[in-house]
Amino acid sequence: MSTSGAVDQYTVLTGDRSKIKDLLCSRLTECGWRDEVRLMCRNILMEKGTNNSFTVEQLIAEVTPKARTLVPDAVKKELLMKIRTILTEIEEEPDEPEDES
Amino acid sequence: MSETGCRHYQSYVKEHSYDTFRVIDAYFAACVNRDARERKAIHCNCFECGSYGIQLYACLHCIYFGCRGAHITSHLRSKKHNVALELSHGTLYCYACRDFIYDARSREYALINRKLEAKDLQKSIGWVPWVPTTKETNLLLANARRRLVRPNQTIGLRGLLNLGATCFMNCIVQALVHTPLLSDYFMSDRHDCGSKSSHKCLVCEVSRLFQEFYSGSRSPLSLHRLLHLIWNHAKHLAGYEQQDAHEFFIATLDVLHRHCVKAKAEHESKSNSSGSGSGTNSSNSSSSHCYGQCNCIIDQIFTGMLQSDVVCQACNGVSTTYDPFWDISLDLGETTTHGGVTPKTLIDCLERYTRAEHLGSAAKIKCSTCKSYQESTKQFSLRTLPSVVSFHLKRFEHSALIDRKISSFIQFPVEFDMTPFMSEKKNAYGDFRFSLYAVVNHVGTIDTGHYTAYVRHQKDTWVKCDDHVITMASLKQVLDSEGYLLFYHKNVLEYE
Repeated sequence: MSTSGAVDQYTVLTGDRSKIKDLLCSRLTECGWRDEVRLMCRNILMEKGTNNSFTVEQLIAEVTPKARTLVPDAVKKELLMKIRTILTEIEEEPDEPEDES
Repeated sequence: MSETGCRHYQSYVKEHSYDTFRVIDAYFAACVNRDARERKAIHCNCFECGSYGIQLYACLHCIYFGCRGAHITSHLRSKKHNVALELSHGTLYCYACRDFIYDARSREYALINRKLEAKDLQKSIGWVPWVPTTKETNLLLANARRRLVRPNQTIGLRGLLNLGATCFMNCIVQALVHTPLLSDYFMSDRHDCGSKSSHKCLVCEVSRLFQEFYSGSRSPLSLHRLLHLIWNHAKHLAGYEQQDAHEFFIATLDVLHRHCVKAKAEHESKSNSSGSGSGTNSSNSSSSHCYGQCNCIIDQIFTGMLQSDVVCQACNGVSTTYDPFWDISLDLGETTTHGGVTPKTLIDCLERYTRAEHLGSAAKIKCSTCKSYQESTKQFSLRTLPSVVSFHLKRFEHSALIDRKISSFIQFPVEFDMTPFMSEKKNAYGDFRFSLYAVVNHVGTIDTGHYTAYVRHQKDTWVKCDDHVITMASLKQVLDSEGYLLFYHKNVLEYE
């Protein structure tokens, strides 16, 4: 299996995946990213949503690239550091705790 | 308006019930336990490309996982299945509508699953936006007048009359009124007073004070009722002498806390009195004087837990005790060891506070591990932090020889990360960042002087409260001030 697949599996298993996701969500809310993207969606909808054929997929396709560039570098850096810490911890203790009955 | 999804989802639920949704959400979106996480880790990848994907969808009609976009949609199209569940946020998707759908009952089930997950992983539940209930919506409609709070507005600011050397009270009240969590509590009218004589209840009085502060009036307030209540409940503060602001702060928290416990107990005994055994509550409430046990608003905001580790020098056995605290008192004088260094910053003070201290040969303690009296070291660390951390700089020194005030400048930061002082530093997800929001200052000597307070009125807006006079202040003024009590508020709050 690929490394990224193994990392995915491991972080899901330990619950770190869910915690990292929470952390990311709260950071994005704190820094105002969430509100900004929300506003962006509203503006696009006001502009193009008048015809009923505008779908959520189209909205996602239009917003995603812009929203990605809006994520602050500090947030990316913090997440990267956190993921790195978690992965080094795995390296240090390769044995899974099996004592849970 | 209640959310009922779309007609496709309704007919899906009619045919298949909510069971599939509940199980799929519990196992692959929320992962409520270890078994679920194991299953997700092994089985949950795209049936098309094998990727674990950024965003996976699960078909709710059959067993199928697919990546967002072509993989899941081609499955739904070819199999004529409509409903899928997006797994990273747990949102329902309807292929027939080409849209995400929201269904109130499914959301309730999803919330239960999220709570189970949070409990299993010992984390706080993720942030969810506020959705007004029907009652709240009606209240908002019935009270259509809104007040827009702009950055330069003075609402929430009131001067306080000096009733004769009561500046010690005024500065603490200003700091408390500007505590965001406390104002949230009182402004949302959460105090339900169990006592019939609410004019004797300090919490009711504070609740009334918040209404006064935000009434829009600009004339100074008189706190005689509050003062009278404190005199009645904390006898050592009664009288017209000057008092110590720190002592007043702790006494106020204590009286507020006791009232909350009492109100809760009365509330419970009232609801229990129709049933059997109402006598047990009163005995509980009288014994719960020690704080850190109840869950009242004061405890929720101000109580933290201090860890003290005593290490035996003979066998290295550690005995750990935990004590609740409302504030952290910091020494400013010269250290007796390390060549008499005087702390210059708040960080210095805290490092000194949390440093391992040798207890000396005169104070031998019986070690619980090796069962003998040995020399030992003692070290404090912070087990849990409250939402509001207050630091008390011990500027007033009382010793057998001399009473004096230490006026040395102690530098303190606006933004403060407390992680280095925590007991568990390895907790990767703990967030211990705090922001300064109030500073109480003392000018004068140990015998006579005057208290003023700087409070953060709004983000980046500071005001100076000097009894009935409120003036604008710059951050620099705040940081250049001497500082006696420093109040920090947690930046990121965790939900239960």
